[in-house]
Amino acid sequence: MSELDHRVRGVDHVAFPTFDPAATVHFYRDVLGFPVVHSICAAGWGPEQHPDFIHFFFDIGNDDRIAFFYYFGTDPSVGGPRGAKGDVYGRFAADVPEYFVRSRHLAIHVDGEEDLLEYRRRLDASDWPVEMQIQHETIESIYTHDPNGYFFEITRALRPVTPQEDLDAGLTIDALLDVVSGPDPTFGKLLARKAELIVERAAGWEPASTGPAS
Amino acid sequence: MGAGLDGTGVVNTLYVLDVPENIAVPKVAAEDPAVTVGRLGPYFVISSDQPIVIDRRAVGARHAVWYSCVAGVAPGAAITKHDKDALRVEPA
Repeated sequence: MSELDHRVRGVDHVAFPTFDPAATVHFYRDVLGFPVVHSICAAGWGPEQHPDFIHFFFDIGNDDRIAFFYYFGTDPSVGGPRGAKGDVYGRFAADVPEYFVRSRHLAIHVDGEEDLLEYRRRLDASDWPVEMQIQHETIESIYTHDPNGYFFEITRALRPVTPQEDLDAGLTIDALLDVVSGPDPTFGKLLARKAELIVERAAGWEPASTGPAS
Repeated sequence: MGAGLDGTGVVNTLYVLDVPENIAVPKVAAEDPAVTVGRLGPYFVISSDQPIVIDRRAVGARHAVWYSCVAGVAPGAAITKHDKDALRVEPA
């Protein structure tokens, strides 16, 4: 376990390119209601041919922000050939599995079901309706793709995280690092290694602080 | 882990974290008289000298919970089935 103090305070911003600022502003500001909170109008600069650009930011709650770059005089071809799958930044061939294409995504947090369903209503009334609503292990999420093709998730916790899940997460990671340091890592090997770590560490475990009862 | 209570059989053991979503897993497992359910810290320890078979419908867990309910399988045993019908743990 790390003994380093934990000083960071969430996401400042996560940034993506867009070639369709009108639809992007419509989606984030007008459909979802995320305020525009910052923008930079910059002339091209630097040693390479850098286009003039607009860098604009939407508040995603908690003072965290999602940001976009619009580069004048460019179109999606600047990123290479159009992919059969993916978005304007990540392009993939038709045979790339969907789980991989969807693996990198942004999930925005809401406090509860009422808020999740409010965003569902806003999206369903737009050109970007909710494609899936799924209860995962401990969260419930709605998904769509934004106008740039970015896979977009809003999620709520179904319950608070329990202290024993922190223990379990730590054991999972230690087991994973052990298994991937050896040959041919498999899920079966991870579960076997994790069982050994449970025997070593679980009996003496006590919640660090009083959390919700299991 | 590995040797049975009588020193001859193999004990199959799986661990399930005690969180609300998982509660039905040890409950259903314990319906088999050959299965014992104990505790080790915050984990349920589900053991048997016979293959452990847990019925998905009896557990009633949703997809994501069902496929992530196993925290560990003691060396010597392995999951040989984990699908929409059942979870089966037996000697590897």
